[in-house]
Amino acid sequence: MANELTAAVQLSAGAAVIDLKGEINAFAESAMNAAYAQAMQSKPSSIMLNFHSVDYINSTGIALIVSLMAQARKSGVKFMATGLSPHYLEIFKITRLVDFMTIVPDAASAASVVAKT
Amino acid sequence: MDPQWTTLKEFSLPSERGNERQAMTQVADAVKELGLPAARLEKLKTAVAEATMNALEHGNKFHADVPVLIKVLTSPDAVAVQITDHGGEQNIPEAETPDLEAKLAGMQTPRGWGLFLIKNLVDEMNVTSDEKHHTVELILKRTEVNHGE
Repeated sequence: MANELTAAVQLSAGAAVIDLKGEINAFAESAMNAAYAQAMQSKPSSIMLNFHSVDYINSTGIALIVSLMAQARKSGVKFMATGLSPHYLEIFKITRLVDFMTIVPDAASAASVVAKT
Repeated sequence: MDPQWTTLKEFSLPSERGNERQAMTQVADAVKELGLPAARLEKLKTAVAEATMNALEHGNKFHADVPVLIKVLTSPDAVAVQITDHGGEQNIPEAETPDLEAKLAGMQTPRGWGLFLIKNLVDEMNVTSDEKHHTVELILKRTEVNHGE
């Protein structure tokens, strides 16, 4: 497989940041779910997905993200995203994911948002 | 198809999970000489990947020995990509707008984004079928269309 997803969790104050690297497709499910479970262990008030090092997201990947958003919503955890390329930001607009998460434009803003969480 | 269309590339891929990435790369390579604006190229690549995924999974059921055929054409105004699978006996459903609220509430599967994405990324999507094959044709204008893009 071309570029398997890795997901690293950083915990900071009340927030968990999941740094994603690789492709978000059908092969990414276990890495995404494991990272989410790890992040939730710290009982964060928010979870931020960092897409800076993600080079491909397909419709199955969108479904994985929706699934995590649904779980976070059920647990009352705020969902955020940063590091999206202009193309994937457009995809998130087309799919309306942006209506249900906070989009943070860059790493500096992300750090500031996480610090305030 | 109008005679002004010329073929840039034809190729086939085995129906194995993940091969949509190869389709995307080969189509991008085929249209490189046209100098599409970057945003339009990204839209075409994603639409091709999604249509190829559908062909691999739903059309050819991931039978590796059954190929997906891909043809890339160009005209003075547009690019067309035709993606053909061997699933002609089944209908391709209409692209419906997913109900994100229902998906987030756990009332619907989180899946079901592929056709919706394709329709929103290209200027035209045409589906033709015979007894054995489906062909999905994606058409994208070569320059940006003036409606807020």
